Amino acid sequence: MTSLLEVRDIEKSFKIKGYWYHKKKFNALAPVSFTIEANKTLAIVGEAGSGKSTLAKILVGAEPPNSGNIFLNGQKLQNNHFKQRCQHIRMIFQDSGTTLNPSLTIQELLDEPLRLNTRLNEIKRRKLIRTTLQKVGLLGDHMNFYPHMFSGGQKQRISLARAIILEPQVIILDEALAALDPSLRSQIINLLLDLQQQMGLAYILISHNLGIVRHFSDDVMVMSQGHVVEKGKTTDVMRNPQHKVTQKLMMSQNFQFK
Amino acid sequence: MNLLDIRNLSIELDTPNGQILAVDKVSLSIKEGEVRGLVGESGSGKSLLAQAIIGVLNDKWHVHADRFHWRGIDLLRLSIAERKALLCRDIAMIFQEPMSCLDPTTLIGAQLNEAIDPSQFTGYFWQRNKQRKSAVVKLLHKVGIKNHSECINSYPHQLTEAICQRVMIAIALAGRPILLIADEPTAAMESTNQGQIYRLLANLNQLKNMSILLISHDLENLTHWTKTITVMYSGQFVEAGTTSQIFNKPMHPYTRALVDSSTRANLQLPSKSRLMTLPGSIPILQHLPIGCRLGPRCPRAQQNCVEAPRVSSYHGHKVSCHFPILHDTVRKNEIKRNVVKEKV
Repeated sequence: MTSLLEVRDIEKSFKIKGYWYHKKKFNALAPVSFTIEANKTLAIVGEAGSGKSTLAKILVGAEPPNSGNIFLNGQKLQNNHFKQRCQHIRMIFQDSGTTLNPSLTIQELLDEPLRLNTRLNEIKRRKLIRTTLQKVGLLGDHMNFYPHMFSGGQKQRISLARAIILEPQVIILDEALAALDPSLRSQIINLLLDLQQQMGLAYILISHNLGIVRHFSDDVMVMSQGHVVEKGKTTDVMRNPQHKVTQKLMMSQNFQFK
Repeated sequence: MNLLDIRNLSIELDTPNGQILAVDKVSLSIKEGEVRGLVGESGSGKSLLAQAIIGVLNDKWHVHADRFHWRGIDLLRLSIAERKALLCRDIAMIFQEPMSCLDPTTLIGAQLNEAIDPSQFTGYFWQRNKQRKSAVVKLLHKVGIKNHSECINSYPHQLTEAICQRVMIAIALAGRPILLIADEPTAAMESTNQGQIYRLLANLNQLKNMSILLISHDLENLTHWTKTITVMYSGQFVEAGTTSQIFNKPMHPYTRALVDSSTRANLQLPSKSRLMTLPGSIPILQHLPIGCRLGPRCPRAQQNCVEAPRVSSYHGHKVSCHFPILHDTVRKNEIKRNVVKEKV
């Protein structure tokens, strides 16, 4: 059986500009491979510059990898075939305040991915927007509002609605929970867990809050300087961290898993 | 003795639609050598309170208080100039996002130099320059920056966020403050760097006996570093007590929800189970509920909650709620007290 998303030997390096003799290559991502199943969550933890955001960008197709392949349901994803990719892999960013276009209403915001990726007519699109908004815990009438009329938690719900409106299979959460207040954060976590059960989504969670990682994910991958240093079931890794980087991360957060 | 003693401080904001009570009767006291945490979500007025303490709010904001004492001196009776002189000497503040608070066009060395208090120097004027330089280096060593020459000769954008925050702390320390107010010092910082900054603050507290008011929106980050915590919600005082009281036996429904929603406090919870949350979202300033502002979201709310509750104290654990969650020992005492009252 093929797994939902399989990443095989993805590699990325950036050229650093310099003089003739000083041209350097910066390896952002050493060959990385992993797989995810539907209904599962993979957490990626690591320090700044460990390549986790680069990995996320490659997965959604914002950056092409230098080498390596991504397979979705056994089918290879082309680097420049965005239509195929953005239907199935969606991403939510950290600061929902700046990722929503302030000059568009919520309806226009959510209409954009539908117009570009589906052949639904206007009435059907409108209906779908309404149901999606209800799915994420907002009202259908909210679609005539502008983003500035919402609070931080509600904005994050809208970006979640934008992610799930195309019924994707994988959602990448790039620090999506970090900027929220604690009580709203647990609301969003509950919502994400509900949606995972309803729609069979797979999440890739990029976070440095180990408490959330512990609660939310099935598998965890610890990265450091582009390399995967530890990988396994979340409970196993946290009970018995093997690599120094993992131990350091857990120490720095006074995190003890009993 | 209390360093800072604030009782029923209110802050009002002038708007075209009348005045808004942004902070409603908050009490806060800080003892000497204490690390106090001030916890609240966004819009809870915690930063406003800090700004009111050091007096940097502009004319739109009106501050009233029943008592506002700094080491026994009533600050509200002093003139602005006197107050400024007093607070400049004794209180320092560090802000979130250190990169944006430092001057981007000036070298770090010059910014530190500016902050140094010249009254600490003795000797002739031609020795001053040298003394200043050595004082700058000393300050940088104090906050744990070892290669000082490189740091002095660089601009803020050339340094990392954690180093910038250290420089901010160094600038704050230049005046040898008695109280340091840290307004979300580690927001948007890596967890390893967060630990470093908190450890530095804890060291300063122990070695120099400096009191610290640590402001944060996240209860779980603070518990390791503070002795006492004050919780605020939407401009109202919620609960104050020692860290273990707040974290282990919260009495206010809001604190209870904060602790329950924290994933780190509930490690025994099976993963992927639902977390306890409060319904709804934080009210905005223009539409504050009357009475207890948690009211519409509170699971224990009853009719009395349309009136603002009074602060009641249980063994130093202060809580502002009509229907606090009482634990067994407290409840027994409460029953006893009621019995005594009835007899009288």
